Amino acid sequence: MLNYKNKPNTAEQINKILHPVVKKWFYSKFKEFSLPQLYGVMEIHSRNNILVSAPTGSTKTLTSFLSILNELIDSSEKGILEDKIYCVYISPLKALSNDISVNLIEPLKEMEEIAGRKFGIRVAVRTGDTTAAEKSKMLKKPPHIFITTPETLGIILSTIKFKDHLKNVDWCIVDEIHALAENKRGVHLSLSLERLNTLSAHMARVGLSATVAPLDEIAKFLVGYENGKIRDCKIVDVQFLKQMDLKVISPIPDLINTTYEEMHMAMYELMNKLIQQHKTTLIFTNTRSATERVVDHLKERFPENYSENAEKSEISGTLSKARGIGAHHGSLSKSFRHRIENRLREGKLKVIVSSTSLELGIDIGYIDLVILLGSPKSVARGLQRIGRSGHQLHDTTKGRIIVLDRDDLVENAVLLKNAIEKKIDNVHIPTNCLDVLAQQIFGIAISNKIHIDDLLRLIKQSYCYHRLERKDFMDIIDYLSGKFISLEDRYIYAKIWHDEETGMIGRKGRLARVLYMTNIGTIPDESYVTVKVGEQIIGKIDEGFLEKLKRGNVFVLGGEKYEFQFSRGMVAQVKSSVQRPPTIPSWYSEMLPLSFDLAMDIGRFRRLMEEKLSKAHKKEEVLDFINHYVYVDTNAANAIYNFMKEQCDYAEIPHDKKIIIENYNDGGTKYVIFHTLFGRRVNDCLSRAIAYVISRLQHINVEIGITDNGFYLSSAKNIQAEKALKMLKVDKLDMLLSMAIEKSEVLKRRFRHCAARALMILRNYKGKIRRVGRQQVSSMILMNAVKRIDPNFSILKEARREVLEDLMDIKNTKYIIEQIQQKKIKVKKITTNVPTPFAFNLVLQGYTDMLRMDNKIEFLRKMHEMVTAKIALKK
Amino acid sequence: MQIQKSIEIRDLALYLKPDNVLIIADLHLGFEEALNKQGILVPRFQFRDLVKRLEKVLDRKYKLIIVNGDIKHEFGKISEQEWQETLKILDLLSKHAEKVILVKGNHDTILGPIARKKGVEIAESVIVGNNLIMHGHELAKNIPKDIKTIIIAHEHPAISLKEPGRIERFKCFLKGKYKTKNLIVMPSYNPLVEGSDILQEKMLSPYLKQNLDNFEVFVVEDKVYSFGKLKKIRKIT
Repeated sequence: MLNYKNKPNTAEQINKILHPVVKKWFYSKFKEFSLPQLYGVMEIHSRNNILVSAPTGSTKTLTSFLSILNELIDSSEKGILEDKIYCVYISPLKALSNDISVNLIEPLKEMEEIAGRKFGIRVAVRTGDTTAAEKSKMLKKPPHIFITTPETLGIILSTIKFKDHLKNVDWCIVDEIHALAENKRGVHLSLSLERLNTLSAHMARVGLSATVAPLDEIAKFLVGYENGKIRDCKIVDVQFLKQMDLKVISPIPDLINTTYEEMHMAMYELMNKLIQQHKTTLIFTNTRSATERVVDHLKERFPENYSENAEKSEISGTLSKARGIGAHHGSLSKSFRHRIENRLREGKLKVIVSSTSLELGIDIGYIDLVILLGSPKSVARGLQRIGRSGHQLHDTTKGRIIVLDRDDLVENAVLLKNAIEKKIDNVHIPTNCLDVLAQQIFGIAISNKIHIDDLLRLIKQSYCYHRLERKDFMDIIDYLSGKFISLEDRYIYAKIWHDEETGMIGRKGRLARVLYMTNIGTIPDESYVTVKVGEQIIGKIDEGFLEKLKRGNVFVLGGEKYEFQFSRGMVAQVKSSVQRPPTIPSWYSEMLPLSFDLAMDIGRFRRLMEEKLSKAHKKEEVLDFINHYVYVDTNAANAIYNFMKEQCDYAEIPHDKKIIIENYNDGGTKYVIFHTLFGRRVNDCLSRAIAYVISRLQHINVEIGITDNGFYLSSAKNIQAEKALKMLKVDKLDMLLSMAIEKSEVLKRRFRHCAARALMILRNYKGKIRRVGRQQVSSMILMNAVKRIDPNFSILKEARREVLEDLMDIKNTKYIIEQIQQKKIKVKKITTNVPTPFAFNLVLQGYTDMLRMDNKIEFLRKMHEMVTAKIALKK
Repeated sequence: MQIQKSIEIRDLALYLKPDNVLIIADLHLGFEEALNKQGILVPRFQFRDLVKRLEKVLDRKYKLIIVNGDIKHEFGKISEQEWQETLKILDLLSKHAEKVILVKGNHDTILGPIARKKGVEIAESVIVGNNLIMHGHELAKNIPKDIKTIIIAHEHPAISLKEPGRIERFKCFLKGKYKTKNLIVMPSYNPLVEGSDILQEKMLSPYLKQNLDNFEVFVVEDKVYSFGKLKKIRKIT
């Protein structure tokens, strides 16, 4: 049963259980217990399952280690400390060492100093980088606290010798569980936890999470099921612990009648002002290329304020005069990122710009302002980012979202409202992933023989597989035991044996273990090319980008400019210190989708606006309403008012209960714009389904453009969009969309990922590592072959599921279609020869490849002028 | 369909009508086994599919069948089963022709034992009428003056055609010029080989290290579709 813990323990209660040394250490460091500690320490002490959800920097990690160190020190003092692993700590971050050092190693050292002796408590980190010598040391003398990643846990659970050390674990801590639950790494982990549970049946599970919803589901994900019932778990919700100072700001009062240059200037002026008013600022952009661009522009426009290599930091008054600026994103090399992180902690950076890489856990030192450039697309992500400021528990977090167009303004205004009103969007936890299941069953089979009924029972204990069908499970057993292949060839494909008479399965082949160890994992290989100056690694760019580079091209990476020389294999050689302006990289598609819940709330806001506007309230009243409803300043309220008013006067406002289908004709091409503000994941499904129906209905091909706010279809011929929408049926949608994506690039790519996870494509085989490009070619052959065996071959079925459920959102798409059929969402058709204001960004989407940014804004302004002229005519 | 006077496209093969000669290329037998050895566990259909597809053109008796290179994907360590399959294909071809010639490809390092066993001929290139047939992984040392057309393979030409949300690759023949001679490039007969996209990928054959804009494209699917010049296709895709 899940149980919210509503009352914290008292400090006295906790003091009572703390060992004197631990207590002395604690009060030498802190004045008092933090809320997560008051709620969590006793539960962990009592070995209860617990999920603690609290913002970053609220001492979650220390909370868990405090209880556990307390136990170990107590045992050590009593001389009963055993040679076994007491605690398994799992974190999604590979660069763990810093966090561990701050929250575990340092405290332990200081406690030993206080006690005046060593406790003999061993801590060991094991990741993919751990050397053989270190491994063998751990094997001989197991660490008391074992720190690892989900992938490595999967490996050691299949390691015969090391497994013995996992037979009596007291605690398993899963840190940053919110970041794991939403992808296949988490699905993989959920099975590993059950495997660990069979070895240590009395292990308590501790989940540590940043702001996330729904907590119930995350808690279930953490603890899993036993005998068909969810295991007990206490939930501690201190998500809104910190004071928040949040604002949406626009660089200029009028977001539409401004040239690109003016907008651009104003944005950097504003950023500079904010940065200079604070000690250290963290800026989030949504893409790696934008990260580079911002660093570049700040340096160029304000050379006196920012410099890449400013090492000196003079202290004058309270504000440091640090001028350092740095970029931090996933394409930069590990050592580069490390350097930047260190300079940040040392106070040498005035500002750091990141895409998404600094969202997660690692302690990043003192930050007093977070700027979000563009929408974080979900409330949870917004809170997570903004929470990186004011890292001290009692500090106020300070966040500013800078918006650049009117859609962005409305979106962020509602996002902020939800953040302030503590309404967090729900995460999607993938379930029944057959590729991960195949990998884990293989892992289990190579470590011991097991009856398939027992195996299925074990698997169904995981939250992610609780509803797994026996047929899907048996398909995976058949796949692993090679039953899909004729008998004489089976020896090549079978990874396990399955005796149908006894129902047992087990390891097959001498290579099985090596194969498992070297190919495990759920993160797909991306095709990245290493960028080097001479022998020095600078970072990585994706393969697609490399193809576009020609000798002499200048691009930006890590805030520095480089000139491309040549490439050989997977290495691109570049020259540094370039004076010419850069050709900014266009990265791999990194766009974050708008969360469905937030999208619906924006729709609701639009609906309320329509009500206000249509009832002919005075402008002041409507402005009052806006101010009241979304907490924005006068500038922003005015901009929102004008935006909505224009749409309303020119046509009408689409919202959560009204879809508008806008037929727009630019002279040649015919556009049908669907105003469906449901987020990109739903719009991806809807648009593909409709386009597929149209292609069947009218035998024409249409072009699709998708955003979070809607999508458009275009064709030289008339499109029967309304009819197509009406033909969508909830019960047929799975089939329809499966057909619609059957020939798509995305399915081919996802099939490669799934085949690799299911070990159908071995990335690492007999010592050879296969390049992604080669993998992709062979995966096509593989896909065609398995289709012939069975169009619903388990791994292919999984690829389709992944596309439709994880990448897109078929579940909510069905919900929307149902609402349309029940007339709860109205559908209205309008015709325009200049697109409505709400359609601007949507139509522009189609031009984005051809238009440069400044032209894009020109286009937007031109459209806007035409709309206002038309409204004037109407009056 | 005629690709050129007295040369017909018959499925993925070429038929030299006046001489009653059939040319097939790049069978790459054992491709799946090679993939398996690299850790790609693709199930095996190739042999069955290949035989079925060959039967479409083996509907008569030819004077000569030429395999224009790469009958096998790789030699070296090959299993008994792979040996048997190769021999079976040669038997099948022999049944439908008075004579079979294997043109050496870059993969055909040790054709000798097979050829001896089945009594087929091996050649670097074959001349039929005024056509020179060779694999095309390297240039011919000297081309006789009276040769008008060079027929090569090796490249596995194919073309990717896109529409929103969908991309399909089709095998094709190419027809163009090499210096003063006509040049025809044949696709692979292997059902698993998708072919290299001539719109995207770098050409391998020394004969094709040139501007291909004026090469004509003939896509083979249920029948042959003439697509016209490559530069025209480039414009619309």
